[in-house]
Amino acid sequence: MARNRNDVWQGTLALMILKTLEALGPQHGYGIARRIEQTSGNRLAVNYGTIYPALIKLEQEGYIASEWGQSNNNRRAKYYKLTRAGTKQVQKEARDWEQTTAIVARFLSPESGSSS
Amino acid sequence: MRSLRAFLLRITGLFGGRRRERELAEEFESHLELHIEDNLRDGMSPVEARRQAVLKFGGLEAAKESCRDRRGLPFLETLTQDIRFALRILRKNPGFVAIAVLTLALGIGASTAVFSLVNAVLLKPLPYSNSGQIVFPWRQAPPGLNLGYNDLPWGRIEFLFLSQESQTLQALGAFKSDSFNLTGSGDPARLDGLRASAGFFPALGVSPVLGRTFTDDEDQPGHEHSVVLGYQLWRDRFGGDPAILGRSLELNGDAYTVLGVMPAGFVFPRAQEMPGSFTFAREVQLWIPLALSRGALIPAEPSELAIVGRLKPGITVAQGQAEMDVLGQRLQAQFPQAKGWFTSHLTPMARQLAGETRRPLLLILGAVGIVLLIACSNVASLLLTRSLGRKREFTLRAALGADKRRLIRQLLTESLLLASFGGLLGTLLSAAAIHFMKILGPSSIPRLGETALDFRVLGFAVGVSLFSGVCFGLAPAIAGTRENLIESLKEGGPRSGESQATTKLRDALLVSEVALAFVLVIAAGLLAQTFFHLLSVDPGFNPARVLTFELSLPASKYTNQDQIVALYQSALQKLRGLPGVESAGITETVPMGGATESTALRIPGHPATDPNDRPYSNYTMASPGYFVAVGTPMLRGRDFLESDTVDSVPVTIINSAMAKKYWPGEDPIGKQVGPLSRLYPAATIIGIVADTKRLSLREEPPPEMYVPYTQKVWPSLLTMDVVLRTKVDPVSAAASARDAIHSVDPDLPLANIATLETLVDGSMTQQRFAMFVLGAFGALALLLASIGMYGVISYSTMQRTPEIGIRMALGAQRRNVLAMVLGHGSRLAGLGIAIGLIAALAMGHTMASFLYGVQASDPLTLAGVSLLLLAVALLACYVPARRAMRTDPVIALRYE
Repeated sequence: MARNRNDVWQGTLALMILKTLEALGPQHGYGIARRIEQTSGNRLAVNYGTIYPALIKLEQEGYIASEWGQSNNNRRAKYYKLTRAGTKQVQKEARDWEQTTAIVARFLSPESGSSS
Repeated sequence: MRSLRAFLLRITGLFGGRRRERELAEEFESHLELHIEDNLRDGMSPVEARRQAVLKFGGLEAAKESCRDRRGLPFLETLTQDIRFALRILRKNPGFVAIAVLTLALGIGASTAVFSLVNAVLLKPLPYSNSGQIVFPWRQAPPGLNLGYNDLPWGRIEFLFLSQESQTLQALGAFKSDSFNLTGSGDPARLDGLRASAGFFPALGVSPVLGRTFTDDEDQPGHEHSVVLGYQLWRDRFGGDPAILGRSLELNGDAYTVLGVMPAGFVFPRAQEMPGSFTFAREVQLWIPLALSRGALIPAEPSELAIVGRLKPGITVAQGQAEMDVLGQRLQAQFPQAKGWFTSHLTPMARQLAGETRRPLLLILGAVGIVLLIACSNVASLLLTRSLGRKREFTLRAALGADKRRLIRQLLTESLLLASFGGLLGTLLSAAAIHFMKILGPSSIPRLGETALDFRVLGFAVGVSLFSGVCFGLAPAIAGTRENLIESLKEGGPRSGESQATTKLRDALLVSEVALAFVLVIAAGLLAQTFFHLLSVDPGFNPARVLTFELSLPASKYTNQDQIVALYQSALQKLRGLPGVESAGITETVPMGGATESTALRIPGHPATDPNDRPYSNYTMASPGYFVAVGTPMLRGRDFLESDTVDSVPVTIINSAMAKKYWPGEDPIGKQVGPLSRLYPAATIIGIVADTKRLSLREEPPPEMYVPYTQKVWPSLLTMDVVLRTKVDPVSAAASARDAIHSVDPDLPLANIATLETLVDGSMTQQRFAMFVLGAFGALALLLASIGMYGVISYSTMQRTPEIGIRMALGAQRRNVLAMVLGHGSRLAGLGIAIGLIAALAMGHTMASFLYGVQASDPLTLAGVSLLLLAVALLACYVPARRAMRTDPVIALRYE
């Protein structure tokens, strides 16, 4: 069960990372983690460290690319950006996710049986 | 696609680890710095800012670990890690490794060698196209007729009927053995040939490398003067000349045209592949059309044909058999005058070619499986003992967070590593064993020469190694890691630390080892007894100092009975005159030299009984002096005389089995008997000789009648065996015998020169091979089981040292201690023997057919082997028991 929840987390995390990169442009790991936390209205309180395996996976799949750069205050950091495949993948994943949530929502809404 | 890309990247991720590791550390460091800066900006103190950043990040090492997992292939990495660790552990215990690897190598090596044999004989595809469709229909001996073999030849009429009526067979060929004297091109030579009908080659699905085979046109009486050559004959005798096609060869004095040459290796049929009722040559050198007449049945026509057929596509052997049964009934109705035996059995080719070897091979395969199991359980109990010694290590690792599956995997890696070493060494051993098997194995095992370490055999070795690795590794791994963590970590927990379950597992392993070894030793013991029974059995002749050879007179030169008889008479006279020769005779086939004719009988004065139970007997020709030469005792009456000729009263000598069967309680001497056909006159019985074993020492001799070659007899006198009893070493008489024959006819070749002892010996080779192999496996099983017993008992005695110390301190005598340890061992051994006994009795009927002169449930063997095993077990326990006996109570207690 714990494993399953982790899988779901990893899956949604990937989408959140992609969406964040789409919104912010190139960003380092700390920035992405921070942004995800803020966007969630601080409701997602996870360790920042968990984002890195997800970043590696996305990079291996070719959706994002990374390079070392300078931060605003002249600090060296590794920056991630969407690749072209990644841009397409954001659209697709977002669509899939909307569909999935819409379906799940129907099951969860109490009037689902009578209203439709 | 994406996942493939990721996978490939992960494989490359296995390398260059150090640079990535540094980069990851840098990235995390910069992450923390960024976070700390933000925190400082929010007004935290530097210490608090760092603390919060680190806290928020989570476990630094855990994050690195999961990044590493994600980057490379964690499975492969753990595996290499496990292997490295296992190698380190194993290197620390060279003694244990040596014993385990050697035990496994013996088990795996023996199984691989046996499998290579099974592979060559039973599994390798045959060199015939769609060989699964090729079948051999054999006539079956009627029930109650014990000839030592069940597959009998067919007659001409039955073959013609089958080829006309069968709907399930698409090609059908008949064949019989024949030999030919090749003259006119180089030295005269006797060639082993086969007369085959036109359907023979299509049924087998073989094509010549050169020219063609016979057509129906050549397979006609009067048109059969054509020949297909074997590859070896063509190469050795005719230099592999392709211009041989169309050339004329002189065979038996007639001209035969060469039609084609068969491919190398095609020598079908080999004698060893065909039933015992036939006398085929070892390898066929040429094929001649059979040219059967299509005419009506001739009374008492000989039945001497073998048949091969090819089932139509989609027809199963069972369907073919069903049709044969129906056709048999129709034959019975249509030809009531023919011999009334029409039950048949269809044998698929693969099984036919494996011949008599199949069942002994399966027996040996079973035996080697037992050896392997014993080896595995030995190593398993060794591992079990070791895993207990390593309990602290496992406990510590579990406490540090290794999960249980991970520990089991580690242990399995170790055992698989052991198994691979064992497999490697075992494969080397089996290569040596195969080498020796090829040299020493009986030539009667078909395709023995093809035994090799091919891919299939190597695959088997790998499979067996893996199987045994898991087999002996899994149970100890599970048992070794099942212990309660807390209990074991507690200081002052039970020192011996052995749970009830592990003790039980170890005892169970030992008991099963003893039971398995018991079964194997019983089988070996029974086979050995069979062998010695056979050696001491009276064959009805005396094989010592007897030389035999075959003479084959060319039909073109010896055209009538008188010429033939005259030749044999003068040859016998010359042979008897040789200084080293004690007596000489001729017969159609010497004992152990092959089957003879057999015939249905007519016994005047005995009314024809039930047509399904007609009297029959073997029917053999012999010369005066033959019985003396071969050493068959004359029980009553007289031998043949030179004066028994065509012009005198027909006479016959019968064996005692025939006398008992057809004249029970009567005196057969002076009675009349003859072949069923009226073409041959009934003969007067003038003597009774002892029964002789013809094909194997285990057969029950059937009724047999001998007729003098000097009186008109069938079938042909052209090929006869000469028997010389010598005063000296029979082999040394061969040269002078050849000179004597050549002084009568210089063109006559002597074939199959052998001593009677070699022939008898030859009939025993399979028996001997099976006995030696099983004996060796039995000894190996015994050795392995006693090693196992020694290991288990000495370990458990060591575990009980404190207990023994207490007992002795409380006044137990040394012999009490001895009895206690020996009692433990003999209880286990006794249980194993009891289980083995039940198994051996249950397997009795499987063994029965391999035995002669001894019952599978032979109480003496069972008791003897039980005692042997018990003695071995006690011996194995004695050393640890003595050690326990010498225990000094003080030291033992301090140990606690």
